[in-house]
Amino acid sequence: MASLITCPHCGTRPKEEFAIRGDAEPRRPSAGDRDEAWLGYVYTRDNRKGRIHEYWHHAGGCRRWLVVERDNLTHAVYGVTDAAQFPKAEAAE
Amino acid sequence: MTLHFLHRHVLEDHLAGFETRPNPNHVTVYRRPLILSVLAHAGQEAAVFAHLAGMPGMDVRVCGPGEWMIVSAAGSRRAEEVAEELGALGGASVIDQSDGKVLLSIGGPSVRKILAKCLAVDLHPDVFAEGQSANMLCCHVAANLARTGLEMFEITVPRSLAGSVFEELMEMGREFALTASFSGG
Amino acid sequence: MTSYRLDAGGAVNRAQALEFSFDGRSYKGLQGDTLASALLANDQVLMGRSFKYHRPRGPVTAGSAEPNALMTIGSGARAEPNARATTVELYQGLVAASQNRWPSLNHDFGAVNSLLSPFLGAGFYYKTFMWPAAFWEKVYEPLIRRAAGLGKLVLQADPDRYEKSWAHCDLLVVGAGPAGLMAALVAGRAGMRVILADEGFQAGGSLLCESASVGGQPAAAFAGTVLDELAGLPNVTLMARTTVFGWYDDMVFGSVERVQKHLASPSPDLPVERLWRIVAKRAILASGAEERPLVFGGNDRPGVMTATAARTYLNRYGVAVGGKVAVFTNGGAGYRTAADLAVRGVEVTAIIDARGQSSDVGPAGVRVIRNAGVISTRGKRRIDGLVLERSGFEEAIDCDALAMSGGWSPIVHLMCQRGAKPVWSDEAQAFLAPDVGSGFVAAGSSAGLTSLSACLRDGADKAATIAAELGFSAVPAVPVEVEGEYDASFAPVWYVPGAKDKAFVDFQNDVAVQELGIAQREGFRHIEHTKRYTTAGMATDQGKLGGVNTAGIVAAMRGVTPAEIGTTTFRPFYTPVSFGALAGAAQGSHAAPVRTSPLHGWAKKNGASFVESGLWYRSAWFGRDGEKGWRDSVDREVRTVRAHAGLCDVSTLGKIEIFGTGAAEFLNRIYCNAFLRLPIGKARYGLMLREDGIVFDDGTTSRLGDNHYVMTTTTAYAAEVMTHLEFCAQTFWPELDVRFVSVSDQWAQMSLAGPKARIIMSRVVQDDLSDAAFPFLSARSVTLRGWLKARLFRISFSGELAYELAVPAGLGEAVADAIMDAGREEGICAYGVEALNVLRIEKGFVTHSELDGRTTADDVGLGRMMAMQKPDFIGKRLSTRFGLTAADRLQLVGLKPVEPDKQIQAGAHLLKEHAQPSLANDQGFVSSACFSPTLDSFVALAMLKSGRERMGERINVWDALRRVEVPVDVCSPVFVDPDNIKLHA
Ligand SMILES: [Zn+2]
Repeated sequence: MASLITCPHCGTRPKEEFAIRGDAEPRRPSAGDRDEAWLGYVYTRDNRKGRIHEYWHHAGGCRRWLVVERDNLTHAVYGVTDAAQFPKAEAAE
Repeated sequence: MTLHFLHRHVLEDHLAGFETRPNPNHVTVYRRPLILSVLAHAGQEAAVFAHLAGMPGMDVRVCGPGEWMIVSAAGSRRAEEVAEELGALGGASVIDQSDGKVLLSIGGPSVRKILAKCLAVDLHPDVFAEGQSANMLCCHVAANLARTGLEMFEITVPRSLAGSVFEELMEMGREFALTASFSGG
Repeated sequence: MTSYRLDAGGAVNRAQALEFSFDGRSYKGLQGDTLASALLANDQVLMGRSFKYHRPRGPVTAGSAEPNALMTIGSGARAEPNARATTVELYQGLVAASQNRWPSLNHDFGAVNSLLSPFLGAGFYYKTFMWPAAFWEKVYEPLIRRAAGLGKLVLQADPDRYEKSWAHCDLLVVGAGPAGLMAALVAGRAGMRVILADEGFQAGGSLLCESASVGGQPAAAFAGTVLDELAGLPNVTLMARTTVFGWYDDMVFGSVERVQKHLASPSPDLPVERLWRIVAKRAILASGAEERPLVFGGNDRPGVMTATAARTYLNRYGVAVGGKVAVFTNGGAGYRTAADLAVRGVEVTAIIDARGQSSDVGPAGVRVIRNAGVISTRGKRRIDGLVLERSGFEEAIDCDALAMSGGWSPIVHLMCQRGAKPVWSDEAQAFLAPDVGSGFVAAGSSAGLTSLSACLRDGADKAATIAAELGFSAVPAVPVEVEGEYDASFAPVWYVPGAKDKAFVDFQNDVAVQELGIAQREGFRHIEHTKRYTTAGMATDQGKLGGVNTAGIVAAMRGVTPAEIGTTTFRPFYTPVSFGALAGAAQGSHAAPVRTSPLHGWAKKNGASFVESGLWYRSAWFGRDGEKGWRDSVDREVRTVRAHAGLCDVSTLGKIEIFGTGAAEFLNRIYCNAFLRLPIGKARYGLMLREDGIVFDDGTTSRLGDNHYVMTTTTAYAAEVMTHLEFCAQTFWPELDVRFVSVSDQWAQMSLAGPKARIIMSRVVQDDLSDAAFPFLSARSVTLRGWLKARLFRISFSGELAYELAVPAGLGEAVADAIMDAGREEGICAYGVEALNVLRIEKGFVTHSELDGRTTADDVGLGRMMAMQKPDFIGKRLSTRFGLTAADRLQLVGLKPVEPDKQIQAGAHLLKEHAQPSLANDQGFVSSACFSPTLDSFVALAMLKSGRERMGERINVWDALRRVEVPVDVCSPVFVDPDNIKLHA
């Protein structure tokens, strides 16, 4: 029926405005990285249950890529950040 | 040889045959508005926005971080001239979208009830105040909504989908006798 | 026909009679009646037949939990099956029909199923219809389909309108009974944005059928006073006839408002139903409690109903449910019903109390039989007597109605719809609402409270707490005095032993108590298994009445507490919701948005037939008089383009404006080919890969300035490419200075192709278009004769000399007209996407038919484009994997049938000559096929194993769907102008 995500730029919006891309944790390896790193990045996902970081694209709004920290079991949302800020936030932790 | 090209509004056929006397709930479609996309480059967002906010006769619509539309419903300035002015500023890229977007305003005592059937955002004036604007889905289409008065909003939609959005708005306004016309008659 | 309508009392308007019909017979009811109360007033207790045994049934409730009185309301296209007569608001001219009976409600052949009942018990579907498997389709399924199903679907289109709407509030109150009204009042007075939703057509809940007085007025009048005040508060929205059916993520509540269901002829300007998505900061559940039926032999006889139902028909509708009413109870509610009936002059024959002792006292002159239980009932279309058992002795008692009270179950469905389970309370002998946090709390009897004053107080208190938490200052509610309330406490009786007839737990699905026993004995012990094996709780009422009794009985059978049994899972919807409401306005022309090109009008007046492509309507071909079919038109268009010139609408291609000092670097990383040194004023064909090395999309990108590009994408992938660019820019390389915006809608874009293209274009564009001044792949701003700035690209998708001209969308039609005028002498024609497709197949250009998510650049012959010297680009690393470079991959080839008039169709498979069709022998498939007017032959593009090494080989195209085999010769995919002479003309 509905669920809502609060975009840091646009405010609270229905899920219809978003497209989900999946796990935001994997980092694109650099060109010279090992084959295993590339295969893992492109093909392997843990499909974890619980609190995860996910890419959501605010396609019907500001068109920014967001990282939603969410429990994929309960849909409890813990935070939404702009994807461009996400790696920096990680580094700061 | 000089050619003359007649400009055609995409809603021309949709509005043909509508009664001209507007009801209290009414949609006004602007014939030739001026609409430009403005994109600020990294670090220039505040400066660009400050300039846009100070431009006479142009309304600023928020699209996303560092992205705006500037709108003149009356279309009183030329796109090239505005683009040049902003280009000189540096830090912003500008592109004319006057033909790519359809600008319409919807207002009246039932406007919030009508729009509640078209979009999901809370339009209580304490939440979405006059002067505020944002991109959002309206009638299933990515649009920009701006509040221009307590009971007055402006909607900007992509031209190719404007017919659908217009028809949907009119359908949702049926119970409130929503009427529509082009600006200036 | 006896009238059971009392002379006075209730919230019905005796001055306003309403005529209606039931099973073809006319009746009169009153304004304010439900269909059920009006039928009961007319002595029509029999309202339906049961699902499995076709037993006669009457209403058990006066509300939305009703399992029996299901009817079809309305006629023709508006007929709606399975409406609960207990909630259907009566209107003038209402037409109702009973269901699940043949030939009539009174005489039903299906009742013979009762005699077969030993075979129709628990697990009957599983046991009977298991074997032989072949019987399923021919015998069992038709049999079940004919016998099962409550009501019939109408196969005509729904004539009514539906809508969806959003609503936002600080506090949603679900239910406008005692607790809900007080909650809304306190929150409303505090200034909160409040929505008060109630499923009934009259708000007030149990106050409407309560004989106590509140605040010195009759309870119903008190409800009216509160509602009046709420109606005057601008921050409070009252939503009557609105069922909150679901609690979803992030405090969104799904609700359905029956806007015009109670009107004989709905207004065409209003929806009949409106689906609401209510976003609430907080919510209070004030949905009340359901009275549980008692489970005893013959408890499904028409005239047997809950005590609350009897009391509601009496006090709210002024209808006596019988002339001699017996009461069977395990708590105070039964005594209250007896007292209310007695006060109104209705004879109460006996109060049968399952408890040994209690402080409850019956009305004067009414016999109270304690420690007793009903073991059977009799009567055909209505109960006419019962047999009770007390200390081993049986006694028959005459009655024409039986009010039963088995205790209370708080209605907690909504709070359990997101995974939390209700919690058993020994004290309340009921499942209570789980703690789901402060966002959503239960109040009043839905929180397990049993007295009216406690419910009123609780509603006010809960709202005051929420107001304080949200920063509103709540005015403390004035305490409301209640006079004449009763104690509704009870001692549970799950099952009355000694039944002499079936004792039903689930009325709607005809599940009797012994079937729960069978399920336990046969190992289906978990409550979810018991449910599915017996079907208890699986009907449209989802076990609202029977669910807790099922848990209690199973617990008793197993010697544990109901806490150990638990309940089955609660899911939306609380009550059934029509598909019309769920679809809203999205039907007919409003089903999906429609995208039209700026040249739509031009195409229309040139005779275009349109084809849907995603949301777009694209011109497919332009038929002319005398042409017998689309092929004639397409062939002519192709020949005209090859010989003269044609104009095609390509406005639907995605167009993305790209800016920034990092734009060149960005494009270089996005495309697999080189882009860093694209000169200003030039276009370049580009190929994008996915990260796994497979081709993603293609298109041209032109450099318009130092830091300014415009990219075109295919029509189908316009949105995907934009999303991809945004993802790469924002998550991979946020340090690059690059910004983009879609300008797809800004430009009308048209392709002028053919040997005469330059002559014609020069008549419209004033710039020099000679090959020297404007060579192949030029991309520049030009001026149309007169004044108009436009963009011109010399690119071709047909192999002909061609230009793409982009003008502001609103001028597109006028410019296209001007080009057609300019080309008239040269024999120009309009051509559509079908001809465009033929032209590109003839030239061997690929589309997403070839770039189908499995092909690499090399597969389609574009391997040389890959700029492997670039340090990085999307897809670079995985594109060199062994699997993507293997020699036996499918490669793009052309196919020509040995006999030119033998048609080849896309999707057909390729086999070596004389090879048998098998997976092992599969050599590839046809990706695109057409008739080529230029070659006067059918031709095709195909993906063939090691195709480039097999030029000249004869193979077979094997089309299993159409049962054709066509011998073809493998050839180059470029059928026309392999040396690009025309392209560079
Ligand atoms: Zn956003």
